[in-house]
Amino acid sequence: MSVDALSEKAEFQRRARFIWLRGLAEKTGVFLGAIALWEILARTVIDPFWMSMPSLVAERLWKLAVSGDLLYHTQATVLQAMLGLVSGLLVGVAAGVVLTRYSRAAEAMNPIIMGLYSLPRIALAPLFIIWFGIGLLSKVMMVFSFVVFIFLLNTMQGLRAVDQDLVDLMRSMRAKPGFIAWRVQFPSILPWLVNAARISVGLALIGSVLGELLGANRGLGWYVEYSGGRLDTTGVFAGLVALMVVAIALNTVVDLVERWLVPTRP
Amino acid sequence: MIDGARPDAGDLTLSAARPKAAHPRVRLEGVGKDFVDKKGATLTVLESIDLTVEEGEFVAIVGPSGCGKSTLLRHISGLMPPTRGSVFVDGALVTEPPPDVGFMFQRDTLLPWASVYDNIRVGLQLNGTPQDAFEPRIGQLLDLLGLKAFRDFLPSSLSGGMRQRVALGRLLAYAPALYLMDEPFGALDAMTKMAMGRELLRIWSLEHKSVIFVTHDIEEAVGLSDRVIVMSAHPGRIKSDYRIDLPRPRDFREVRLLPRFRDLCETIWRDIGLE
Repeated sequence: MSVDALSEKAEFQRRARFIWLRGLAEKTGVFLGAIALWEILARTVIDPFWMSMPSLVAERLWKLAVSGDLLYHTQATVLQAMLGLVSGLLVGVAAGVVLTRYSRAAEAMNPIIMGLYSLPRIALAPLFIIWFGIGLLSKVMMVFSFVVFIFLLNTMQGLRAVDQDLVDLMRSMRAKPGFIAWRVQFPSILPWLVNAARISVGLALIGSVLGELLGANRGLGWYVEYSGGRLDTTGVFAGLVALMVVAIALNTVVDLVERWLVPTRP
Repeated sequence: MIDGARPDAGDLTLSAARPKAAHPRVRLEGVGKDFVDKKGATLTVLESIDLTVEEGEFVAIVGPSGCGKSTLLRHISGLMPPTRGSVFVDGALVTEPPPDVGFMFQRDTLLPWASVYDNIRVGLQLNGTPQDAFEPRIGQLLDLLGLKAFRDFLPSSLSGGMRQRVALGRLLAYAPALYLMDEPFGALDAMTKMAMGRELLRIWSLEHKSVIFVTHDIEEAVGLSDRVIVMSAHPGRIKSDYRIDLPRPRDFREVRLLPRFRDLCETIWRDIGLE
C-alpha cells in the first residue's frame, strides 16, 4: 500500500470515528433534553402527582437498590422470563424438527397450531391461574405460551430454507443423517433461532409482567401494579425504568450471542 | 495419488494404461425418467438411455438445456431413482448413493459458514480418512489448487472461480473413483473457465479416474474428454457418441489449435444444429 493510500485510510477512519462520536453526542443530548423537559414541566405546570419527576424516580430507584428490593423484584421477573424462554426454545425447536420430519402430521396439526398462535394469550391467564396457581409456574407457563410458537415456526421455516443442494451433495458422499444435521441443517437454522430469540426476549418480558399483574407478590410487574394501586406514580415510573433497563440488557445479550454464533452474516 | 504414486501415468494412453476391469465403472440400461407436474401432466425427461463408461474414461455429455443431462447425473449418483431402467456403478445396482462417487454441481455448494480448510475437510471426513492425515492432505490440496493463502477464508470472501476451486478440492479430498461433474465451470468467466479446465486436465492426468462431465460448451467437452455424448431434448435421448482421438496428455488451451479439434467441434455443432 502506498503512503497516499495509507493516509487516505487513516483519514477515512478518522472521519468514521467523528461521525460515530457525533451520533453518540446527539443521542445523549436528546435523551438528557427529554429528561430535563420532564423535570421542568413537573416543577412548573403539571402536578407531579400525575407523572412524578425524574429526580423523584431516581431517588426511589436508589432507595430500592439500597434496600435490596430492586434486585429482589428484578430477579423474580427475569427468572420467570428466562425459564419460560428456555422451555419454549427447547419444546419449540424439538416440535419444529419433528413436524418438519413428519410433514403430513404437520399439515394435519396446522389449524390447531395456527389457532393457538393467533389466540390472544392474555385470555389464557384465568385458566393458567386455575391450573398452575399464582406461584412461579403460572408465570413461566404464560411466558412459555408466548414464545413457544415463535421458536416452533422459525425452526420449521429455517429447516424448509436449508439449501437442498448442500444436503444432496452430502448425501452423494454417503453422509449419515446425523452428519448432515450437525454440519448443514443446524448451522443453517442458527440465524433463524437467533432471530426467534430476539423476538422472544421482548415477548418473554411481556408474559412475565403480565403474569405478575394478574396475581403475584413480587416482581417488577407486581411493583408497578402495587404502586399504581396506591396512586404512587413515582413507584410506577421507577418500575417502568427498571423494566426498560432489563429489556435493553436482555436484547444486548441476544446481540452478543448472535455475534458469537453467527459471525459471518451481516 | 496426486503425490505422484504413479509417475508414468501421464504419458500412457488410456486404453493401454490398465487391464480391463471386471465391470465397467458405469452402465445405464434403458434408463428413463418422467416428471409429473402439478396439473398431473407427465413430462418425459429421459428416454431409453443406454450408456457405458469404462474405468479411467473421461466422458462429456453435451446437449441443449432441458435434455435431462443433470437428471442423468442424479440417477447415477443415486440421489434420484429413474422411472424406468437400471443404473449400475461398479457392477452394483444403484438404489442409494454408491460408494466412491463424487458430485460437483454448477453452484459451488460450499458450507457458507465454514472456512476453505473446513470445506475441504468434509471430503476427508466422509471417506473415512483417519483424523491425523487431515492436515497434510488438505495442505497438499491447497497447494495443488493454489488456495494456500486462502485457507481460513470463508466462501463469501472468495471469487466464483476460487469457490469452484474449493469445491474441486473437496471432491479431490473425497477421492472418488467416479467424478460426476454437472457444468462445474458453467458459471465462470471465459478466463477462469480456461484456467479451471487446464487444472482439471492436469489433475486428471495424474489420477486417471472416470469422469462424467456435463456441459453445454462443445469446445470444453472436446478439449477435456475421450468421448462426447450428444443428447437431444424432449425427451432426452442419446443422439450420438463421438470418440475424441486427440492426443494425451493435452493442454486445454493449445489443443484448440489442432485442425482435428476444429473438425470434431464442427461435426458436433452440425450434429446439434441439424435437430
